[in-house]
Amino acid sequence: MTAHPESADVTPSSFTSGLSVADFAACLAMGLEPVGLVQGFCAMQSSNYAVGAMQRGLSPYQGQSGYVENYQCPHGMVAGEHRMWGQNYEQTWIEQTWSQGFASAYARMLEEATHLGAVGVVGVVDTQSALVGAGVIEFHLRGTAVRLAGSSATSATPWTTYLAGQRLVKVFEAGFAPVSVVASVASVRVWAYCITEYLMGGSGVSAWSSSPSSTEIDQIVRAHTQSRAIVRATAQSQLRGDKLQGVQLTVAQHEYERGDLEVQAMLRGNRVRRFRDYEALPAPQPTVRLS
Amino acid sequence: MSEHVNDLPEATEHRLEELEHGLFTSDLSVNEFLLVKEAGFHPVGLVMGSSIYHTGIQTRKWSQSQELTKLTEAMYNARELAMTRMEEEAAELGADGVVGVRLDVNYYEWGKDAAEFIAVGTAVKAEDGVSRRNKLGKPFTSDLSGQDFWTLSQTGYAPQGLVMGTCVYHIAHRGLGQTLSSTGQNVELPNFTQALYEARELAMTRMQDESTRLGASGVVGVRLEEKSHQWGSHTIEFLALGTAVTKTAEAVTLTKPMTIISLDN
Amino acid sequence: MTGPNPSTNIDVAALVRETLSAHTSNVSSASTTSDLSIDEELNLHAIGWEPVQLVSGYSVFSTPLGLWSWGQGEIVAAGEAHASAFRNAASRLCGEASAAGAHGVVGVHIERSIYSTHTEVSMIGTAVRPIGAGRVEPTRVFASDLSARDFSRLIIAGWEPLGLAVGASFVYAPRRSMGAVFQQQTQNVELTNYTEAIYSARELAMDRMQRSAINLHGSGVVEVKIVEGPMTFASHAVGFAAWGTVVRLAGATHRLLHPTMVVSLDDAEVLFDAANLE
Repeated sequence: MTAHPESADVTPSSFTSGLSVADFAACLAMGLEPVGLVQGFCAMQSSNYAVGAMQRGLSPYQGQSGYVENYQCPHGMVAGEHRMWGQNYEQTWIEQTWSQGFASAYARMLEEATHLGAVGVVGVVDTQSALVGAGVIEFHLRGTAVRLAGSSATSATPWTTYLAGQRLVKVFEAGFAPVSVVASVASVRVWAYCITEYLMGGSGVSAWSSSPSSTEIDQIVRAHTQSRAIVRATAQSQLRGDKLQGVQLTVAQHEYERGDLEVQAMLRGNRVRRFRDYEALPAPQPTVRLS
Repeated sequence: MSEHVNDLPEATEHRLEELEHGLFTSDLSVNEFLLVKEAGFHPVGLVMGSSIYHTGIQTRKWSQSQELTKLTEAMYNARELAMTRMEEEAAELGADGVVGVRLDVNYYEWGKDAAEFIAVGTAVKAEDGVSRRNKLGKPFTSDLSGQDFWTLSQTGYAPQGLVMGTCVYHIAHRGLGQTLSSTGQNVELPNFTQALYEARELAMTRMQDESTRLGASGVVGVRLEEKSHQWGSHTIEFLALGTAVTKTAEAVTLTKPMTIISLDN
Repeated sequence: MTGPNPSTNIDVAALVRETLSAHTSNVSSASTTSDLSIDEELNLHAIGWEPVQLVSGYSVFSTPLGLWSWGQGEIVAAGEAHASAFRNAASRLCGEASAAGAHGVVGVHIERSIYSTHTEVSMIGTAVRPIGAGRVEPTRVFASDLSARDFSRLIIAGWEPLGLAVGASFVYAPRRSMGAVFQQQTQNVELTNYTEAIYSARELAMDRMQRSAINLHGSGVVEVKIVEGPMTFASHAVGFAAWGTVVRLAGATHRLLHPTMVVSLDDAEVLFDAANLE
């Protein structure tokens, strides 16, 4: 699978850039010349119904790897629809689809940047969108490849960052060098057992106690806590001693049907490497705007 | 000035005549207005062009990904017409260029396959009397805001024209056998990836060709838009838009912005 | 704008060139993760603090079915569920921060969702500490929804955050009699039952928030957020929730900032963002 970089007809003096004018100006001030808008795509089949989810409700999912937690009903046989067991498990295949799609699109973007002799890619934007109906998810990364003004192409792998403009200037000024954008996803499926189901439906409390009060739903709390821990650990494992700045962590909960939930956590950030200690910064001046 | 042939309606001629006598109209904010002045330009009038275009019909093959050239042409020509008419108005005013250009598409109840393409912007003229028109002798166009216009002038680059490239692409439906691979694995779908690459590269390349025709040294502020318009989810327009710029002879020294902390919210 | 800025003489281009050529050396050893922007990180550094780790806390509490649809006066269990979920989320957040060796959590992003059968609270923020400082007890770790920028300013002015104060109350608005409903159908009248209910919820909630601030030995609560109104899922219940960061003067006196006045020529707060690419 090869990308088609448009670089063939790009002469050294002609460039495209996705940067706003202000970011463009900041780039020039940093001695970085935009050489081209670079992109990478990957369309992946994306199905929830792979592996474990197929047997949902019949027997517990036996995870090969990843987080799995079982919940046993304390009541014994009550009724046919009574959920005697419940599970939280990490949907590793979704995480794999995601990391594979992202990594392929990323590699293709880098390929274009390398082809243009770029030293880095700034102002990266990544999107994942459902394409032509369900079952296909498209990973799209793009950014502006830059070169050091007046130097020849380098052979090193280009660095990447979500930042551009003055924010990137400050990263350099603060003693950091950008390394790469980092993104990861964690997905935990929740199959509620009887107590969780009753509590979610609001009936557990009044059923087991005489005065109305509130009770924490442990299984859901665990799913949220785990998905957040996993997504951070995945990102952390890619850092190798570097720092991750400007992280965005978002968590979404999706209910497929009663008692069947997915908690998905997504994380994005800029991996940077410290190359010298902080220096005394110019003291910022507090201002009030006269509008 | 208004002796050359153009196809502008009479009322437009009249409106523009009033503008030639010193009055100016502009949709720039006060801040933008002041920054355009700072960059050495004076606004001369709000200019616009529009074209109501009937897009043809093109059969799509269910299972094949391909460009729909007829629709691509329609989308491109309609925008080009609106832009050209706006440029004509600006030329009529003796302007050097148009800033803050917005390109919009409106759909009307009465025409299922008809759409209105509009281009609106503020025509500006250099105050030193030296022409800033582009290589083709036409006023430059640009979707830059007043703030961006000033910032760009500080970097020693000058806008040449709003450049665009478009590609309407039909993405194949998947056959029954392909609907889900039976292995239970989520795999890459190379055909889709390839189609997406091709459609966007076509749009980008077309945009770059426009920039080359203007003799520009680059394109800044490139935006990639994807729209399904009214064609259903499998037919997508990929539109690339940006402002072509060239380096001016003037030497520049970029001033470093100062660090401030705002106490406003 | 006022006088010359010391940073003007830094040659950014030379700095970038030097940085990119000296890529191999890596001064720090511990990986840290933070959701702070570079601006915020620099602001923190300017007051001698550093980010340690991105931390989170989550809790969901079940409330009995039917709780919202009948009764009178305050819906006690709903207020309890809100308070408990908030408390547990905050203590898990501070627990993670303490484990990471931090002294506090800033920029805490709080999401609350209230449904008829459960109430959930989610918190995400960046754990911070004075540069190189050692661990403190989880109970001494503060959480604050102030941004890192605001936190730094507060410290510069001589104040310190102590934690989050929260108060919530949900009250059942008595139904009007059928006769009253019928009589008032064509008139403009105040629905006094709702007004009274929202007033009573407000007093209870604000009082709880103030009490939690006093328990933290604070002298004030800043950036109080208020969410109030009818509950979407229950026709006769109204709710009022308020939360903010508890602060107190750390030193002897308040330090004045003496701001400079500027006129900005930007139209919007954030004009330039790479996300505009989309």
